[in-house]
Amino acid sequence: MTAKGARMQPMETPILPAQRPAEQMISVVVPVVERVDDLTALYRAFAGELKRLGEEFEFLFVFDGGFAPSPELTALAAGSDHIRLHRFAQRFGETAALRLGIERSRGDLLITLPSYFQVLPEGLGPLIAAVSGGAEMAVANRSPRLDSWLNRLQSRAFHQILGNIADTRFHDMACGVRVMRRTVAESLPLYGDMHRFIPALAVREGYKVSEIPVPQHPNDARMRVYGPGVYFRRLLDIATFFFVAKFTEKPLRFFGLVGSVSLAIGGAIGLALIVEKIGGHPISNRPLLLLGVLLVALGVQLIGLGLVGEIIVHLRAPHRRVYRVREQV
Amino acid sequence: MTSSTPVAEPYLSVVAPLYNESENVAPLIEWILEALRDFPRSFEVVLVDDGSRDDTWTKVVNGAAANSQVRGIRLARNAGQTAAMMAGFDHARGQVIVSLDGDLQNDPRDIAALVSRLEEGYDLVCGWRQQRQDKLLLRKVPSWVANRMIRRLTGVPITDNGCSLKAYRRELLDRIPLYAEQHRFIPALSASVGARIAEMPVRHHARRFGESKYGISRTVKVLVDLLTLKMITTFRSRPLLGFLIATALPLTAAVAFGIMWLIALTQFGHDKARAMVFPAAAALSLAAAFYLFMLGLVAEVALSNERESANATPTAWEAR
Repeated sequence: MTAKGARMQPMETPILPAQRPAEQMISVVVPVVERVDDLTALYRAFAGELKRLGEEFEFLFVFDGGFAPSPELTALAAGSDHIRLHRFAQRFGETAALRLGIERSRGDLLITLPSYFQVLPEGLGPLIAAVSGGAEMAVANRSPRLDSWLNRLQSRAFHQILGNIADTRFHDMACGVRVMRRTVAESLPLYGDMHRFIPALAVREGYKVSEIPVPQHPNDARMRVYGPGVYFRRLLDIATFFFVAKFTEKPLRFFGLVGSVSLAIGGAIGLALIVEKIGGHPISNRPLLLLGVLLVALGVQLIGLGLVGEIIVHLRAPHRRVYRVREQV
Repeated sequence: MTSSTPVAEPYLSVVAPLYNESENVAPLIEWILEALRDFPRSFEVVLVDDGSRDDTWTKVVNGAAANSQVRGIRLARNAGQTAAMMAGFDHARGQVIVSLDGDLQNDPRDIAALVSRLEEGYDLVCGWRQQRQDKLLLRKVPSWVANRMIRRLTGVPITDNGCSLKAYRRELLDRIPLYAEQHRFIPALSASVGARIAEMPVRHHARRFGESKYGISRTVKVLVDLLTLKMITTFRSRPLLGFLIATALPLTAAVAFGIMWLIALTQFGHDKARAMVFPAAAALSLAAAFYLFMLGLVAEVALSNERESANATPTAWEAR
């Protein structure tokens, strides 16, 4: 029982009292999911770079379920004010890890960093400079890419599809290295697997996002072959993003359109069969009738689904704000 | 034009959404201030820049700097006319709020008249554009059709729903659920919470600068939105009933296919296999009816939370 209780409790270092005003600190959030390199080495490399830049910083490692800090990292954290470790009791995924990191961090500037060497530490400087220079978010674009042609082709296809949906074209949304202001991070709708779309979400919220070329780390550039499940999930992610981006305010615009098309085709089939029947041909042996009925039923169902969505949006409307004010005079 | 002392809690807020109206900002401010010079009570002008791509915001900043009664709000991105109006309403501090278009087509000289009409005991006074100065085929005819349908379906006898020039009481705006592209339905939404509504003729001018942001495709969207709104307002408190009514269609179809099956059986006699399409169609229709019923249950569940909060703050207009 005690063992189970201990497992259910996320292991956390106590939240440190803020030693400096938050506006002068950079919080680096490292979600530890899937791929992990030596985190002490990662910390030393990037913390060294931040020190060199003369920045005050903290590192928040958020371990997803199934991952644990190595003894070296725990020892390092115990002896340092700069490192805080959080650990999920079960697998919640990267988006949840980012959310926790954002919530628990104290800096006014946030950096998200993958738990493996994706870019060279020298890349942080230009990213931070971009945000200091007016952008509200700066995302890394690994360039030059050292990956295999296959991975580059996949990435290009992904961004092509997404670019057609979102208003802005990004080149490397899979790169987890991003610098953003705290206000931006806190206003992003992060849930599910939406972390993949952080730059596009920020643009949708009306933030200025700039893409900065950052040299890729040689370790990152290895041939990766994914199973079909990964591609399927990626497609679902894009579909979700598309739906959320276009139709959360007006679900019936989407369901109604698809439903009406189905209804119209089904209705046309029914009409054609009625004409045949009047013309003297029996329709009792026409499987086409089934298709017609199926399409009509489907259409009605889809429109019904859209209406349920509309009712929910309608009743939520008083609690939602669909605009964001940039400035006021 | 020198500014008077800043207004702390103005009585009247004039809200105008602006989208790429650079040339219209300065004349608009001047015109509103001119029209309200003799207005007996304090007022403010709230200009909302809806993520314009031109220098509308610079003009707003200049206007606000020159006149203490003028305030500006800049949205982070183009959020649409309804959202821009909402932003203006949320930032307006007056007890009475007047909205108007930022394109100079509404006449600010009508504001005072609308307000005094409101003071006669209404919650909403809608402008009714006389001698509308727009293109006949592209704007006026679709608008006429849309207004007729809105009147028919909502039962609110307002002639000109599309006119932005309206006067509201603050308490009314706090009560109506405004979202997406629903500013056109403000009269209908207001009526559904029990507001007292009046309509009065206002002047209308042709566009001087810039171009219209409307097209004919909007009318189709308006009609779809209207049907949606009608269904929602009718069934928002009892969605299951709505879906039960909707099941009538597939249920009828199922019965019809069943009857056709029986007829076919008597005709074909021993050759029963030939008539298998009908029972299958009947089963499909039944499944659709069942699905709609389930959807109604889902809607009920989805609303249970909202209804609890709705009980705390009744949607009906009670004490004035």
